[in-house]
Amino acid sequence: MKNVIIGQYIPGSSFFYHIDPRTKIIAVVVLMVATFLLETIWQVLIGFGIALILIIAGRVPIRKIVKGLKPLYVLLLFTLVFQIAFNRVGTIVLDATMQISPFSILFMIAATIIWRLLASFKKFSLLLFFAYLVGLFFIMKNLAFSPLWTTWQLTIYDQGLIMSGFVIIRLLIIITLSTVLTLTTKPTELTQGLESLLRPLKAIGLNSEDFALIISISLRYIPTILDEANKIMNAQASRGADFAEGRLKDKVVQVISLLVPMFIIAFKRSEELADAMESRNFVPGKPRTRIHDLKFNYRDLITTVITVLCLAGSILVKVL
Amino acid sequence: MGIQFKEVSFQYPGWGKQFFEALKDISLTINDKDEFIALVGETGSGKSTLAQHMNALIFPTSGTVEINGVPITAKRNKKIKYNSIRQQIGLVFQFPEYQLFEETVEKDIMFGPKNFRVPEEEAREMAKKALNMVGLSDKYLTRNPFNLSGGEKKRVSIAGILAMNPKILILDEPTSGLDPAGKKLLMNLFKSIQKETGKTIIIITHDMDLVYEYTNRVLVLNEGMLEFDGTPDYLFHRHDIDKWHLDYPATISVLRAINDKFHYNLDIYQKTIDAAVSTIAKAVQS
Amino acid sequence: MSYIDIQNINFAYHPKRPILQNLSLSIDKGQWIAILGHNGSGKSTLAKAIIGLLEPDFGTIDIDGMTLSPTTVYEIRKKIGIVFQNPDNQFVGVTVRDDIAFGMENLGVPQAEMLEKIDFYAEKVGMKAFLDKEPAELSGGQKQRVAIAGILAMQMDAIIFDEATSMLDPTARRELMDYIRELHNEGLTIIMITHDIEEALWAQRLVIIKDGTVFRQGTREELLKEPVTFIEAGLELPVGLQISNALKQMNALSLELEEHLWESSLKK
Repeated sequence: MKNVIIGQYIPGSSFFYHIDPRTKIIAVVVLMVATFLLETIWQVLIGFGIALILIIAGRVPIRKIVKGLKPLYVLLLFTLVFQIAFNRVGTIVLDATMQISPFSILFMIAATIIWRLLASFKKFSLLLFFAYLVGLFFIMKNLAFSPLWTTWQLTIYDQGLIMSGFVIIRLLIIITLSTVLTLTTKPTELTQGLESLLRPLKAIGLNSEDFALIISISLRYIPTILDEANKIMNAQASRGADFAEGRLKDKVVQVISLLVPMFIIAFKRSEELADAMESRNFVPGKPRTRIHDLKFNYRDLITTVITVLCLAGSILVKVL
Repeated sequence: MGIQFKEVSFQYPGWGKQFFEALKDISLTINDKDEFIALVGETGSGKSTLAQHMNALIFPTSGTVEINGVPITAKRNKKIKYNSIRQQIGLVFQFPEYQLFEETVEKDIMFGPKNFRVPEEEAREMAKKALNMVGLSDKYLTRNPFNLSGGEKKRVSIAGILAMNPKILILDEPTSGLDPAGKKLLMNLFKSIQKETGKTIIIITHDMDLVYEYTNRVLVLNEGMLEFDGTPDYLFHRHDIDKWHLDYPATISVLRAINDKFHYNLDIYQKTIDAAVSTIAKAVQS
Repeated sequence: MSYIDIQNINFAYHPKRPILQNLSLSIDKGQWIAILGHNGSGKSTLAKAIIGLLEPDFGTIDIDGMTLSPTTVYEIRKKIGIVFQNPDNQFVGVTVRDDIAFGMENLGVPQAEMLEKIDFYAEKVGMKAFLDKEPAELSGGQKQRVAIAGILAMQMDAIIFDEATSMLDPTARRELMDYIRELHNEGLTIIMITHDIEEALWAQRLVIIKDGTVFRQGTREELLKEPVTFIEAGLELPVGLQISNALKQMNALSLELEEHLWESSLKK
């Protein structure tokens, strides 16, 4: 993945690709605010529905969004567990006595082993995980036999489920919004959009132009730096540095053997780059023209209208 | 023992579903004694990729690389300690001065041996030996590697690999960036290391003059395939090496041009400038 | 009056280790001059001084009638461009197009004009097909050509090449040298800094730098008449000329042979 323009970005030409980045950034921020104004699970479900419609209409690959959620599975699971365990509001949905005995422990260990063995089927990992949880539940409820060591009461209230659903779906909307933004906007466009939006901050001394240049140069060097890191790791690996194994003390030296050369290369680069930029007439703070222009078009209007409607809807729903 | 390539191919993923074939069906044998090999080919022909297979940094996509008896295939074998291979086969990358990171030359050279669990005192001894081997005195041991000149840095980093006492030494473009005097110094160093220790040395280079003068075997790679494996003389006696984007050594070109212009019958296959000079002198004076 | 007039400049980072000492040099417009010296002779420092990246401790540099000073340096940078040794560390833009634009953006060139010039000069250096490519997708030689396009787009009179070929492989090096010759034929002043005598011999005029000052200068024919000059400066002659020298010392060099070896060494 050496390409910087790509990163999270996937080239395409649907509606979302042609919206001015400034509009997209503001729209995403506003819609996130609108989402946090919602209060009930039904409102949130509607919000999610709208998001889905927009994604499908915009022909954004849903697969990519799902991929973007992967790192959050643990967080979502934690939310679910937390709500189920501590939310004692509403009607009881499930009241089960969970029993722990030597047998149940044995069965649970067996279930765990089976789960790990089947873990190589990566495609079904989520499904397998839930099957595993259900299995554990079943074991603790029914497969205990005597002698019992201890029991605990698993009580699930409907509000617990509803609240966790609320939090999870709300999170899904937020993630979806930001993923659509990064999927359809090149990092350079994002930088330019931010720079344009932050221009008013010049009044308090923050030069957004310099900031944008810093970001775009950093982006440009990411593949180069990754490449160099790889080369240095290979060079040190050829001297016996095993980046995979080793005691903690060894690991520290290994990391230093990677970082020191990288810093040295980085310093040399900064000097040479500064010379090159200066010799090409770069003067920090001096106004520059830009080769890429941000222009609004009708799509921005449509986006703004929809965003405003959503925000209005959220406010209304809250007020009523 | 040594290194054996058995029908080795290597691909790496490119854009989309495409793969780039860096090496195609390579078979060759390298002895772990007394060879001085040049690995040549234009940029992108696969030389560095081939070198990195030799110390198990890269695993082949198909075929087997046997290093000192240990077979390396596409599948990672959990029983094999791949790391120990890198002590037996020393690989020095291009611009090795970038690998320096310790506060003293001595500490930096000791990094290699210590990674292979050589005890501190022994590692110190090996570091001293290696430093002297590259022509630098003990005075350099306490110096900061970052205060050295470019040429000295290069030599210290080479010493860092020599200190591990590998049987086979592979150097990727060791003379690049050096002026003619620096190049000669380094090549003579390698020649003397080879003579004194009997190690096999493999050099990746673009410089045909160095190939002709110093090495006794040439491997030519072109578009991932091994096109030639033989002596430099055999290679340069051919008339078609430009199809592999190779030049002739300067001595051969100059002598050939003289023959063409003056219709002399000089033996153009002279490895050094001195040899070329005496060939011409003899012909002229007769 | 010459285009670039360097008078007695001195420069040192540390007072005890001077890098440039009483260096004087004149360069005419349209010339191709090679500044030759071994590593550490001060030649790269000279290049940086000409373009105002460092200020000499003593002495003056006049370019196109203007004396180089902290105020005039901006004007002078509109006339002379420099291509550095490391192709990666001078590539600023995220794409080829952005990089060629960088210099023009700094000068406030209007957008429409920039786009036109980029297309034109990218074509000129043979990189038009690569305009949307990122530097990670380019070879060293290609990056150097993008650097040249960026300089040409600012319509400069002179280009300094500071060891611009030393990080390239032989094929790319030859291609770049061919292109520099083309540029010279179109009237650009070329100042080439190198330690490679084979490259230096492409130029009309050679200036040999030793210990921070001008050791010898002249046309290539003039300098090659005394090959010991190069050896004293820590440089090595091309193989043909080394052979010629050695034969001369053995009295085994006929006039025709000498001429032949000479010509073939200079034939570029």
